[in-house]
Amino acid sequence: MSNLEDDLRIALRREEPPADFTERVLARLNQPPAEPTWRERLAVLMRPPRLQWVAVAVIVSVIIPAGVQYRKGERAKEQLLFAVRVAGTKLHQAQHKVAETGRMGTRL
Amino acid sequence: MGGLAVRVQEESQRAVQVELPAFADIVREHQGMVFSLAWHYLHDRALAEEMAQEVFLELYRHLASIQSPEHLLFWLRKVASRKCIDQTRRRAFWPKFGLDDIPEPSAKTRQADPMLSGALAKLVASLPEKARMLVILRYQEDLDPSDIARVLDMPVGTVKSHLQRALGVLREKLARTVGEIAL
Repeated sequence: MSNLEDDLRIALRREEPPADFTERVLARLNQPPAEPTWRERLAVLMRPPRLQWVAVAVIVSVIIPAGVQYRKGERAKEQLLFAVRVAGTKLHQAQHKVAETGRMGTRL
Repeated sequence: MGGLAVRVQEESQRAVQVELPAFADIVREHQGMVFSLAWHYLHDRALAEEMAQEVFLELYRHLASIQSPEHLLFWLRKVASRKCIDQTRRRAFWPKFGLDDIPEPSAKTRQADPMLSGALAKLVASLPEKARMLVILRYQEDLDPSDIARVLDMPVGTVKSHLQRALGVLREKLARTVGEIAL
């Protein structure tokens, strides 16, 4: 394959585009700019300083209330666990007393 | 001073924008080169034409910054190469074509074997992005490694090693393909 480079030159020789290529390029130059796509609109929306306002709005409307709710839930959970612990202790004491009373009755 | 510079640039851009016939001549002169780069790289005629049109539209917007005919040629090759590589990355595009898509030879510089040329074009199109563009710039545009390095913003050593590797791969694959055809 000593002629590979020559063969590549032949295989990759220049091709002409369709005959009306230049006219099509010039026609596109005279076209009004295309309507922005949803991606472009989103990019414009996310461009600072609007992005900062969007971020502030998201924090205020979602993250802060969610944080408050989470903390409320945590506090309620702590209270419930405390109540369960207290109830458990009381129940244990009552069981102990019942058992003691039973033992005393048997002895009498 | 800066304001004046901007105004001068705007004036020259406005002047450039008026000269559409001159721009049309530039397009006619270089359309074969730009279209061929895109065609050999993408192997999709419609996409290659679209890409070539975009290159010239971008040239029109940057015409004021072009300093010489050599700079124009360099700029066109650079932008066309970048757009082709971006295109494959963006769409994860991989050429889908058959031998029928390989155009008939028009130049008679050497006894051309259409089947061999078709197979080679197909193999070039199967190379990885950068290697494919290196091979096209080397053998379509006949650029030497230092020119390719400038167009693709790569070190010359990397260009040379990539070219050697690409040629090795092509040689090996071509031998296999020719073997299959012979069978």
